[in-house]
Amino acid sequence: MSPRIPDTHAEAWALLPWLASGRIPANDREWVEGHVGSCAECRAELASQRMVANQMYGQMYGNSTSPESAATDEQRSFNKLWARIDASESASLPASGARVAVSRSSRTVRWLAAAVIIQGFGLALFGFNALRNSAPAGEIVTVADVPTQRLNAPAVRVVFAPEASIGTINTLLANQGLTIVSGPGTAGNFTAALSADAVASGASADSVAAVISKDPNVSFAQPVAR
Amino acid sequence: MALKSVETQVPRAIGPSPDASERELLERIARSKDQAAFRTLYSSYYQRLSRLLARMSVRREDIEEVINDTFWVVWTKAGEFRGASQLSTWIIGIAYRRALNALRRAKIRPVSDEPFDEDSISVASTDDAETDGQWLALGLSRLPVEQRMALELTYTLGHSCEEVAAILDCPVNTVKTRLFRARETLKQVLPALAGMSGENS
Repeated sequence: MSPRIPDTHAEAWALLPWLASGRIPANDREWVEGHVGSCAECRAELASQRMVANQMYGQMYGNSTSPESAATDEQRSFNKLWARIDASESASLPASGARVAVSRSSRTVRWLAAAVIIQGFGLALFGFNALRNSAPAGEIVTVADVPTQRLNAPAVRVVFAPEASIGTINTLLANQGLTIVSGPGTAGNFTAALSADAVASGASADSVAAVISKDPNVSFAQPVAR
Repeated sequence: MALKSVETQVPRAIGPSPDASERELLERIARSKDQAAFRTLYSSYYQRLSRLLARMSVRREDIEEVINDTFWVVWTKAGEFRGASQLSTWIIGIAYRRALNALRRAKIRPVSDEPFDEDSISVASTDDAETDGQWLALGLSRLPVEQRMALELTYTLGHSCEEVAAILDCPVNTVKTRLFRARETLKQVLPALAGMSGENS
């Protein structure tokens, strides 16, 4: 089949963006380049489109966040999606297969079953470590040491998933401007207060609880009424 | 205000990610619900989609939801992809439609209504590229989202005209028209860009 040679200014003009980006089809490239070679208006337009393409490409890829931060965001986002998939597939299993399903994939169900046992011990240890780590070296902070203004700050009540690591939880708390001020309670719950900076930036107990309750590392979160 | 001189060569080899390897990942997802394949595919699109959605004016807090809704579809419908188009056009097309829904829900009008103010561009910077970027960002903010996306898909993601049409779910001629109008609007905002065409015609 012989190539189509329209040789019209309007058609070449319409294809200039893809000549600029290098994605013009091979069967169009030759005649469009031929036209541009003889048309000053199209040459100028091509130059301007290449400038726009360069600028847009630079804006899209030049001001990105740090690779470490981007990787953390991506992993956190994927964890949420995977928890959603996991929960959905567990819920869709037939009742007769439920026992098998629990052992195979329903981490959520197993979390709930184990929570009473694990959270009492594991989160008590975490609470101790979290409070200790926020203190100056060599000091152990108790709830009584937490400044009064922090105790009066907007706060959320939270239960972490048993499989969540301390590092993950610390990152989660730091990202939301939260600090643990009490816990663990009898149900393995902690109370975490919002920092003054987080409040100043518009965060509230309601908004933060809504955000972290969707995190797979959190089993439960709700604002504390003040 | 003067825009810096233009490059006369195609600046880089851009284009969608390799389709064959991504299709293999999709087949593994469809065949055996392979989580590793799904994670790899997710990773190859996460940054691309994050940036594209930000350029669509999708709110920061909605971007993750749009991406995850998109990959929810990829996970559940992987076996239904028949390969009539590039895999990237399928995935980005889903994200585009989800993003439009997010914009509607948030009642965001993704076009600036503010009167154009030339003084809003900083002249303090001696960096031509930075100043050019400010002008262009302002120009892009004046475009309807459909025109802006046609430009982004063409120039920053490197899709062909046919691929852009598939993503935006419109005829090829509509893509050309949108780009034509976008270019005309940008010329009204970017005086040097207009001059560049005019001075040689």
